[in-house]
This record gives sequence, structure tokens and C-alpha cells, in this order.
Amino acid sequence: MVLLGGPLGISLAPQIKAYSGGLYKALKPLANAYANVVGHRKMGLKYDDLITEEREDIQRALGRLTTREEYDRSFRMRQAFQQSVMHKPLPKAQWLKPSEDDRYLTPRINQVVKEDDERTLYDTMSVEKRK
Amino acid sequence: MSLLTRLSRGRAPATSALKRAYASVADASGVKVAAVEGGAPPATASVTVVVKAGSRYETQPGVAHVLKSFAFKSTDAGSALKTAREAELYGGVLSAALSREHLFLTAEFLRGDEAHFLNVLASVLSSTHFYPHEYAELVLPTIQAESLSALASPTTLALDLAHSTAFRRGLGNSLFASPHSPVSAADVKSFAQKAFAKSNIAVLGAGLSTDQLAKAVQSAFGSGSATGSSGLSGGSTTYYGGEQRVPLDVHAGPSAQPTLVIAYGSTGAPSADLKALPHLLGGVSALKWTPGSTPLSLAADKVPGASAKAFLLPYSDASLFGVVVTAPTSEGVAAVAKDVAAAIKAAGSAKDEEVKRAVAKAKFADATVLESSAGLIATAGASLFSGSIPSPDSSFAALQKVSASSIGKAASDLFKQKPTVVAVGDLNVLPYADELGL
Repeated sequence: MVLLGGPLGISLAPQIKAYSGGLYKALKPLANAYANVVGHRKMGLKYDDLITEEREDIQRALGRLTTREEYDRSFRMRQAFQQSVMHKPLPKAQWLKPSEDDRYLTPRINQVVKEDDERTLYDTMSVEKRK
Repeated sequence: MSLLTRLSRGRAPATSALKRAYASVADASGVKVAAVEGGAPPATASVTVVVKAGSRYETQPGVAHVLKSFAFKSTDAGSALKTAREAELYGGVLSAALSREHLFLTAEFLRGDEAHFLNVLASVLSSTHFYPHEYAELVLPTIQAESLSALASPTTLALDLAHSTAFRRGLGNSLFASPHSPVSAADVKSFAQKAFAKSNIAVLGAGLSTDQLAKAVQSAFGSGSATGSSGLSGGSTTYYGGEQRVPLDVHAGPSAQPTLVIAYGSTGAPSADLKALPHLLGGVSALKWTPGSTPLSLAADKVPGASAKAFLLPYSDASLFGVVVTAPTSEGVAAVAKDVAAAIKAAGSAKDEEVKRAVAKAKFADATVLESSAGLIATAGASLFSGSIPSPDSSFAALQKVSASSIGKAASDLFKQKPTVVAVGDLNVLPYADELGL
């Protein structure tokens, strides 16, 4: 899948967080409701597990996970596949709590994107002679 | 005869020309600094940071090799890519080298760019991040390739094993990281913190004046460099000796020839007699198309394609003297090794003129080593820590005193120890130490 705006797609979140007019607070319940509707927590998945991984940069970011994070990620995937085969969500007690739904992969993706941007910058810059 | 007298008369101006000024060592905010300026101002200059963090000082096997490969990776000043691309734009070369006692971080550049490259070196010392992902993605593949290609050469492998047999720990540590003792990024970081203490580093410049370099070091290293920690200790060195035999892979290429190393170690800085000894045994011909007249080259000449070369590897508190024998076949190595062992035993009773020839060669080798930049870094860089760079004149005076009797005594003292013998090749054919009569 080709995504606009890099591997994480387009997001207005940074602008909304930076805006001091209480917009973030106002939109937060809406965001929470959206996360519930998506339903990944019912399958025991974190939001970052849903990021398209068939890309070179994401693969590099995945390679930078710690052994523990990698193990936990594949466990959540297997659990979700099993539930998907059985066409039902996990028992409610095993649903992922919103507090556990942390962005473990996003910082690493941002790091990879920064490196790629830097390489593009150095590959395409024009050099001027020092005066 | 008349030619000889003319030669000896022609010597007088040559010795005075050798008396060239070597820079004194200055102190720039706790870091020892010296620069060697060539006669005419050269177009390029180089700065080498000498760190007392060779394999000898390792806190765990292989960590010095990993630290070497971590040089010029991302720091507070920018990523590895930025460091490399900016060095390219300035037309400079950044390199790192490792010896058993020292780590050398070198920047070569056009004159006038010293501020930029000293900042790069300072940021490497003070703020390398040692990211685990950089270790896995950039550093580890180079380490694997370096270790693999170095140890595929039987001579390198044999010399590495000779050190570990001769000295066991400390100087005996391998120069190369091995997959048998993994090193983590956190290990390297803690080793680097100890290694990059100000008392543990010295800066050597070439093509710059000492004042210029001291000023630049003061501004670049003045604030950021890691201080406080007490550096690393290498322990004292003892010579043990012994035997190691390693089979050579049958699929190894034709350049990987069977090798036998016979070595003897001695503790303490190498004496002048010891310096002349490898030139007495020889092995390297001074002329083309002739084996020369040294005992080792005559021994090697009997087997086509064989070579036997004497070496002396000096360290701060020990040295390893020895002979490397290689030949296209293990049978050839065995044949040459017998003659080499006989030559080693006969070294104590050398004739006066042979000793004179060896002393002259040793003087030439001592003088030329300071002419090349690699030799300058290895010898002058190492002696920076003692507070002065030795000029060839002082070693000439010591070599002048070497006589047939003094070198004979030094040789018999050295060769009565237990030998270190490392054989790499067909182990059914290659001789054991006692079979050689050592």
C-alpha cells in the first residue's frame, strides 16, 4: 500500500497537540471512541501492530525492537490470528487496556524516517564554494 | 677498498642531515600534544588521536576491535552519514586503526581545515552514542568481515596465536573480535568511557606546528572530552611460550600458504642488541634477483616459493622476536624450518662483519620508519605518553655499541627460553618444536 506522507501516513495530531486552545482536550473523547470502534484492543492488539509492515523502512524499524518487544509483538499477532480464525474477539477480561496500548514502534519509525530524510538531503544538495 | 673509504667519508654529511628537529611534547588542557612538521610546508596535514585502548587493555575479549569499528558513528554533533559526507566535502580521510596497545583515530585533510576535523575527533571521543541499532546494522557486519578476512591469512592467524601462546593474557589478547565471545553495545560504551579519559589520550599532528595543534586541541577538547575516570590498566607482561597447531582449510585459496612461526619473547623495552638481531638473521633481500647473504634467505632459497623472515615486535614492556616461515606446501615449510632452527642456534656466534651489516640495516630501518606517516603514527604516537618523541640519533648511539659479543650474549639469553611455535597447515607434516631441536 502506498501511503502519502511517509510510512505513518498523514496526521494532524502534532498540530492539534501544539495548539493551546483546548482543542486536544475537546477531541480526546472522540479519539478514544474511534480507537474502541477500530476494535484492535478486543483482539489483544496494540495500535502500532496495525501499521503496514510491508515496507523497507518499517522493516528496518522492526529490526530495531528489543528481543522482548519482538516476542510480545509476535505473541499478540498469533493470538489475534487465532481469534480471527474463530470469528470472535477475546473474552472481555483479556482485552487490551487503553493504558497498555503504547506506541512502541512509532518512535523507531520516526528515527528511520529522519535518517532517510537526511540521506536524501545529502544526496540532493548543491555545494557552493566557500567565499 | 677505495670505494669503501669513499663511502665512509661520504657519511659525515649524511649523519648531520639526520639531526632533524623533532617536536617537543606540549600539554593542552591535560592532553599530551606533539606535532611533526616536515621541511617544506606540505599541502596536507593530519591529526591522530592516540588512545591507550588496544587489545591489551580489553575488559572483555573483542571489545577493543568493536570500539575501533564504532569510530565516526553518530555523536551529539551529527549522524555517521553527516560525519562521512562532510569529510568527503572537505576532501579529508577519516580512519581508525588498532594495535595491541593503542587505538589510532586519524583524520587527514588539506591544510586549513584542522578546526573542522578536530571537532569531529573531539565529538567521537566525547559523545559517541553507541546506539544498539547502529551496532547491529553498521558496525557488526564490518567487524565480521574484518575478522574473517584477517584470520583467513595464515600469517596473521599464526602471529595472533603466537602472541596468545607467548603472553597468554594482556598482550596475548587477540586483535580481532570473535563470535565465540559476543560483545554488546553497552559493553563498548562502558569500555569507551574508561578509554577516552583525558589521561589516556594523546594527539599527534603532522604538517602542523605544535603551537597550532595545541591551540586547536585546547578549543576542541577543552570542554567536551570525558574526564574523571582513571583509564584502563593492562597488567604486567610475562613470557610463557608453548606450542599451537592449527589445520589449514583444504579449500583455502592459493594465497593461504602453510605457515610456521617460531618466536621468543622478552620482557622490558627491546635493547639495541635485540633490534639488530632480526637484521642479522635477515630474510629480506636488499637486492632484486638474489636471495642475499643472510642465513634465513639462504635457507628459504632452497625451496621454490618459500620465504623465511625475521621480525621484532616491540611493545612498551615486552617484545616478541621471531621468524615467519611460509612455503607453497607443508613439506616445504618443514624443510625450511629445519634450516631456520639451525640458523637461530648459530645466531649467537655471528662474525663481526655480519653484525656490522645488521647494525647498519637496523639504523636504516629506525630512520625510515619515521618518514612514512603510518610508521610515524605507530612509533611516535606510542612514545607520546612517555613525554617525548625519540629522535633516530639516540637509537643510533645505542646501536653503535652493538658488537658480536653483546649480540651473541643477547641471542643466547633469548634463545634459551621456551620457544613459541605456531604451525598452520597440514599437521601430519609440519614439525613439532622438539623435532626442530628448539
